[in-house]
Amino acid sequence: MLRDTIIKPLAIGVKEPEGDRHLPGGYAGRILRVDLTSGRIWSNPWSPEEMRTYLGGAALGAKILWNEVPAEVGWDHPENRLILATGPLAGLPVWGTGGLSVVTRGAMTNGATSTQANGFFGACLKYSGYDAIVIQGEASRWVYLYIHDEMVEIQDASHLMGKDTWETQDVLHAHHGLSGHQMSVYSIGPAGENLVRFAAIAGDYGHVASKNGCGAVMGKKRLKAVAIVRGTKALRAADPRGLFQAADEIAHDLKTNPTAKSLYEYGTLWGVLTLHGQGALPIKNYTTNLPPEGADMSVWEAPSLRKGFDHRGHQCNACGMHHCHMQVIPTGPHRGELVDEPEYEGWAGAGWAIGCTDPVAVSWLNTQVDRACVDVNEFGWLVGWVMECQEKGYLTPGQVGLTLRWGDAESAAKLLHLINYRQGFGNLLAEGVKRAAETVGGPAAACAIYTGKGASPRGHDHRARWEEMLDTATSSTGTLETGPPVHPTEFGLPARISPFDPDAVARNVGKFLGRRHFEDSLGACIFTTRTLMENICRALSAATGWAYTKEEGMLLGRRTAALLRAFDLRSGLGPELERPSPRYGSVPVDGPAKGQSVEPHWERMLDVWYAMVGYDRKTGRPRPETLKVLGLEDLIPALWETESRQRQG
Amino acid sequence: MSEGRSAIGNRKSEIGHVTVEAVAWVTQFVGGDGTRRKLFQEAVAPGATVRSVLQQVSDRFPKLDEALWQRPGGALAEHIEVLVNDAVLGIGHDLDSPVQPGDRITLIGQYTGG
Repeated sequence: MLRDTIIKPLAIGVKEPEGDRHLPGGYAGRILRVDLTSGRIWSNPWSPEEMRTYLGGAALGAKILWNEVPAEVGWDHPENRLILATGPLAGLPVWGTGGLSVVTRGAMTNGATSTQANGFFGACLKYSGYDAIVIQGEASRWVYLYIHDEMVEIQDASHLMGKDTWETQDVLHAHHGLSGHQMSVYSIGPAGENLVRFAAIAGDYGHVASKNGCGAVMGKKRLKAVAIVRGTKALRAADPRGLFQAADEIAHDLKTNPTAKSLYEYGTLWGVLTLHGQGALPIKNYTTNLPPEGADMSVWEAPSLRKGFDHRGHQCNACGMHHCHMQVIPTGPHRGELVDEPEYEGWAGAGWAIGCTDPVAVSWLNTQVDRACVDVNEFGWLVGWVMECQEKGYLTPGQVGLTLRWGDAESAAKLLHLINYRQGFGNLLAEGVKRAAETVGGPAAACAIYTGKGASPRGHDHRARWEEMLDTATSSTGTLETGPPVHPTEFGLPARISPFDPDAVARNVGKFLGRRHFEDSLGACIFTTRTLMENICRALSAATGWAYTKEEGMLLGRRTAALLRAFDLRSGLGPELERPSPRYGSVPVDGPAKGQSVEPHWERMLDVWYAMVGYDRKTGRPRPETLKVLGLEDLIPALWETESRQRQG
Repeated sequence: MSEGRSAIGNRKSEIGHVTVEAVAWVTQFVGGDGTRRKLFQEAVAPGATVRSVLQQVSDRFPKLDEALWQRPGGALAEHIEVLVNDAVLGIGHDLDSPVQPGDRITLIGQYTGG
């Protein structure tokens, strides 16, 4: 039916001719610009020098965010930018290269966001002739952006309203007569439409840029979806043979390295069992680290989880990993429904964090969360908080509008609906657990898991992973900024440290700051870049024609981190907020990390971390000498000279 | 689940056994299929440490030896998490802590994903 409906575009843009500009391999060479207020669509070239300095993805987004979003432009201001950027490896024959980085001022922290998703978006964007899309303004009615090669159209989205992210993709595929990988669609569901603060942007059935409320930003702009037809533009690698060799080396490493091999074979499915063994599986809102009495944990082994469902591979662009899968619910009230196989964080957020230990129920609930475009980490902390508060009598079923007991996935789905549509108590919960807990107050407030800046911790129990707690609390991305070290010996760090050695923890996090930003600037998946930096740089060099080293990659990453930090500081997010909430930083009462308290070591860890990254401990600012090393001298006046003038005055 | 039992050279000095447990993914390094558990009862002598017990096992399984240890140097590599009596290494024990008969050392695959 929809295919018979001709929808007149609200605005059309046509790409300017490229001319004979010489570009590094791997780049399309232009940045697409869309102003939803005016309907203006245009594109800008960017120079090879800029490409070398900012690569793409997170780094390019951070630069644009710093330049174009001043302090007075809040997350919900029309002049906030929503940047969808890919990088030089996207669309090339390297595993997992459909990557997309979403960079914006996010709704959870009102600070910087850098959050990634995969699928095909990045490749489709490059084949359409763009390295990034920068969206500004606010449409007067709901629209979606449709890109097919040179033509870029702002289309009416009224027929998509209320649809979840999978339905939106279905409708747009049908409407445009395309299917499968012919068109990538990233969209928001009802949570984004209703400005739920932890709304995500989801696409290609199961891929989610989930952090810091980027979906709420998209919703505020009244942008329902971005749909990109797989374009027809050539994408050149500078050294195709070298690129194939580098890609093969990366693939070989992923298939043979003892840690990466588990990702290669099963994606993140091993997470539940291994993190449980380490005391890092969050169970019932951090109230315990032990599974229910008599629980058979062998069902959480990766092969068992996969055997429990009829499943099929659902690989991203050019990927050979056996990671992403779709599966069918085998039993129960939702038998026969198609879902995406949860990532570890889905098993945690829609499962263990809320006491749900039935893989079938978790799998179904996780997909409802994705389809609604909700961050599953924040969902877990929020629902777990409500469940604990009801159990302890801090919240009544009457207040919430529902009775929620540990493990009840069906009731959790009902609560999700209240949140998505901001109905009743769901309106408060839609603000996220930090704001909800602060509003409710009393003993309930002490049960909530969040960071001082307002970001949602990832779905691990960081009381057994101090590195990730420190990383999350100090982050300027709205999520983990550094992530667990990958091949730390490549950078002269010990292969492993005690997770409870405060100095070693802080040194590791500080030393590794930048690697994740580099990965997130490539247009590649963080799971396929879980190899030596040297291997990644070999692929990047072959793609672009540059002689790119791991040192340059780390410099790029640290430059990105400094830009995002400067942005957060300019937004009022300072070091005084770099703390876990009382529950987040509490002492595990049982399990493998029982009794370990991070609190006495917190200030010391910050001292070491600040020294490692070259930021000023008191103000949080990157020091002038650090900025000079990073090639960010132009930030010095903005960060340091106001104070200098005040002192002189 | 399968079990193994080791012997040490001088049985007179043996003071008992420590259980070494390879869990799930790690079992593939000790002859398993990557699921469930494999248990080994390791005979220990006075002065035995977490390190010496692990070395005793990894000497018999080259794949474990490759995954467990950093070469050169002899520190633990990044791939396998070690627990002693259900506590992560770094709480009550480190690699050179003495072990007692009846202790259990657990080897779990490292996990770094999201």
